[in-house]
Amino acid sequence: MGIFVEDGGILTTVQDEGRFGYQQYGVSPAGPMDSRSFYLANILAGNDKGEGALEISFMGPKLRFRKGNVIAITGGDLSPRINGAEIPMYQAVAVEEGDVLSFGGMKNGCRGYIAFAGGLDVPVIMGSKSTLLRNKLGGIEGRKLRQGDVIGFTDPRPVLPDMEKRKIPQEIFPTKEVVLRVVTGPQDDEFTERGLKNFFWHSGVISNEYDRMGCRVECDPIEHKGDGNINTDGISLGSIQVPTNGKPIIMLADRQSTGGYAKIGTVVTVDLPLLTQSMPGMKIRFIRVSLDLAQDLYIRQLNMLKALEEKLGQN
Amino acid sequence: MAVRFLVAGDKAVSVEFGSEISLELNARVRMLQKELQDNPLPGVTETVPTYSSLIVHYRPEMIRYRELVKELEKRMERMAGVTVGTEYIKEVPVLYGGTLGPDLEYCAELEHVSTEELIRMHSEHDYYVYMLGFAPGHPYMARFEEPFHFKRRESPRVRIPGRSIVVQQNLSDLIPFEQPCGWNIIGSTPLDICNFAKEDPFLLQAGDWVKHIPITEKEYELIRRDVENGTYRVKTYEKAVQ
Repeated sequence: MGIFVEDGGILTTVQDEGRFGYQQYGVSPAGPMDSRSFYLANILAGNDKGEGALEISFMGPKLRFRKGNVIAITGGDLSPRINGAEIPMYQAVAVEEGDVLSFGGMKNGCRGYIAFAGGLDVPVIMGSKSTLLRNKLGGIEGRKLRQGDVIGFTDPRPVLPDMEKRKIPQEIFPTKEVVLRVVTGPQDDEFTERGLKNFFWHSGVISNEYDRMGCRVECDPIEHKGDGNINTDGISLGSIQVPTNGKPIIMLADRQSTGGYAKIGTVVTVDLPLLTQSMPGMKIRFIRVSLDLAQDLYIRQLNMLKALEEKLGQN
Repeated sequence: MAVRFLVAGDKAVSVEFGSEISLELNARVRMLQKELQDNPLPGVTETVPTYSSLIVHYRPEMIRYRELVKELEKRMERMAGVTVGTEYIKEVPVLYGGTLGPDLEYCAELEHVSTEELIRMHSEHDYYVYMLGFAPGHPYMARFEEPFHFKRRESPRVRIPGRSIVVQQNLSDLIPFEQPCGWNIIGSTPLDICNFAKEDPFLLQAGDWVKHIPITEKEYELIRRDVENGTYRVKTYEKAVQ
């Protein structure tokens, strides 16, 4: 036995690293919106960093533990509580059978991750536990959690070695304006000089059209040389598609694998959590950086995760 | 046109073989994918073929961009003499018209032919699967003879049922799941285009050919029953080299 869902919250799904190898068949990889926070939650909970965890959004769920375990909560601060008392984030916490985990509301950021030591007992479909809502695939029956769901633990632990070391500083996410570094391409040559200038020099606003698939930015239209249509080609995570109307859409976890609009650039991987922790209405700005820098930053983040694993005697 | 390597962020590169949509270019896309499947390149996690390009997703901690491009160029040189290999035709039975193909008569009117003639034009020729995308298992297919003259509907439908056959000009798609659609629906297939409950969920893959076989309502029901029981085998055979 593991957890009993007393209230599913607004949008709580099971996510692991993502479902890879099936984009050639048109299947979106899904996976966590904020992969950095997701990895940290698993490492703190003593897991392989890609293990299945819960992604919670906006208003968190209410979960009753039917078995004690160690958990770690990271990402956006939705005010986690055990039996009504606040508990720290970015830290391994032991919970006992009968404890109730609930959330008080959004304080900073908007998506949290709850990792459970030993992982969640969820069927692996096409190599992954990730929930892809659009196609009702993976996770718990391909949907978000709801009242009455029960999710088992694979290998629960009442306590982990070095509990006192399982603690890192909390990441604070932007609240008014988010600045994202972008590598240009693959189709930046489909835009006019003015379109490119407009994109990199003026700020926009995160619109309400924002879900796990993508985020549309409200701004002065980004001008194409033509009508913005290209031969449909592959899409990567963080890709910034600009449809004919000139309003950019940043492609996120549940993105389509291919698309027919010109892509002006791609948000660098390490900056994606800043976007996925941001809410509609916030200002957004893009800065051009080199591919070399983007890859250096990504490798530095991987090394940071590796160093934490080593410190905790995991890898 | 020379091959272009387009940066698609810090973890992907799009290899663009050209700008037109042609069997020749698409064959090169599939050949590079096959080369990377047969002789995996460490650090490459996934490749996705489209009309005229192959996106290569990779881990920069294992292979950096410049190194990857050099390696891909080497692979493409090696490909020069290689052919794409055997191609297969899969038969897709179709019930034309009726409630599951509500636009058949309208399409015949647009084309100024009888419904029988429209069905013949649609089912007599083989369709090439350029790529899959948009939805799981959803093929982008085209035939190369007798294109229809009509394009999309003026206003798209908010929802059409899964397994619909939709058409415009020389294009014909199979709709895996319920979705919005702006094309005309001329029929329905009893086959699953994507079924996640199966070990191999997908009816088609890029590079396949499809032949539509007109069937009766009775046959549709029988085939559907076999499909649901897991006993139906899709008729597949080698395409004759032209």
